[in-house]
Amino acid sequence: MKKSIYVLALSALFFTACKTDKKQAESNSMQPSEMNMKEADDHDHGDHDHDATMGEDSSKEERNIDATTQKNSATSAIIDSYLQIKNALVEDSKEGAAKGGTMMLTAFTDFDMSQLNESQHKEYMEILEDAKEQAEHIVKSPIDHQREHFENLSVDVNDLIALLGTDKTLYQSKCPMAGEGKGAIWLSEYKEIKNPFFGSKMISCGSVEKQIN
Amino acid sequence: MKLLKKIVPFLLVVFVGIQFIPTKRNQSTEVLETDFSKTFSVPANIQNMFEKSCYDCHSNNTNYPWYNKIQPISWLLENHIKEGKKEFNFSEFGAYSKRKQKNKLKSLASQIRDNEMPMESYTLIHSDAKLSDSDKEQIIVWVNKLRDSL
Repeated sequence: MKKSIYVLALSALFFTACKTDKKQAESNSMQPSEMNMKEADDHDHGDHDHDATMGEDSSKEERNIDATTQKNSATSAIIDSYLQIKNALVEDSKEGAAKGGTMMLTAFTDFDMSQLNESQHKEYMEILEDAKEQAEHIVKSPIDHQREHFENLSVDVNDLIALLGTDKTLYQSKCPMAGEGKGAIWLSEYKEIKNPFFGSKMISCGSVEKQIN
Repeated sequence: MKLLKKIVPFLLVVFVGIQFIPTKRNQSTEVLETDFSKTFSVPANIQNMFEKSCYDCHSNNTNYPWYNKIQPISWLLENHIKEGKKEFNFSEFGAYSKRKQKNKLKSLASQIRDNEMPMESYTLIHSDAKLSDSDKEQIIVWVNKLRDSL
């Protein structure tokens, strides 16, 4: 009898030991705070909404995000976390990029999907699924892998902005040497080229292709 | 010595005890419509390499080794397979979004190029799953072409 208790206890230990790591990782990325997005939304509006034709201020609660308006602050938290990853990779900082990855997972969790209309929803879900996976890898990978996933993430965030818009001014730049020589894009909050795909090795590689807002 | 006499039988009991804990087996006879091989027209030699070197952990059907029923090996395998399928599942590849397919193909090529997959701990036992340099080259070239066509 005593022995079988030992057996049970030990096997239970085995089970939990295997699972702890994952649970921790999950709880790190899941910190739902529904209010964050709304607060950021309200705040940003005061600062940036200088375009009178947009008319987004009325009935903010019900409004759908309109892709054609392109002035949307709901994507701000996601873009901020993206820029955190980008800037960390420019500085060759694995830790900084991992932090940005965690920030991005939180930003996606907090994103208010009820504001999406039907046609946006499907594409948003695809972008979300992919971007989250890239962010998860950025959290746990060495820097060369982080950079590989950052390439994919840049496409995702770029598509997210095309779909939902942003009220930020961003620059889309391209590095012809990244993406295994096929070229890859990234987004930056400033015009100056600081390459996140190679960091200090080739900091000025690339050129601005497009300005957003 | 006295302590050892207590510990050894204890471990033995634990070892026997854990054999009774069931594990989930990853086996299915049906090849899903979403399987990689049904989603794209894959040359037979490439598909063969995938099945031999990847499908055990990255599909819904594992070709288990004889020792798979021994704990704690079963748990180890189960965990590997779960993680592997989450990352990339050949059986469900057709259900992925285009975006995901492209990125997964890119990762597939880079993992093989960097010798990260198939894992060494796997090829150590499954020597036939090892990919030669020319195998790798063939896979990478084909996968990159497929990715560009998506």
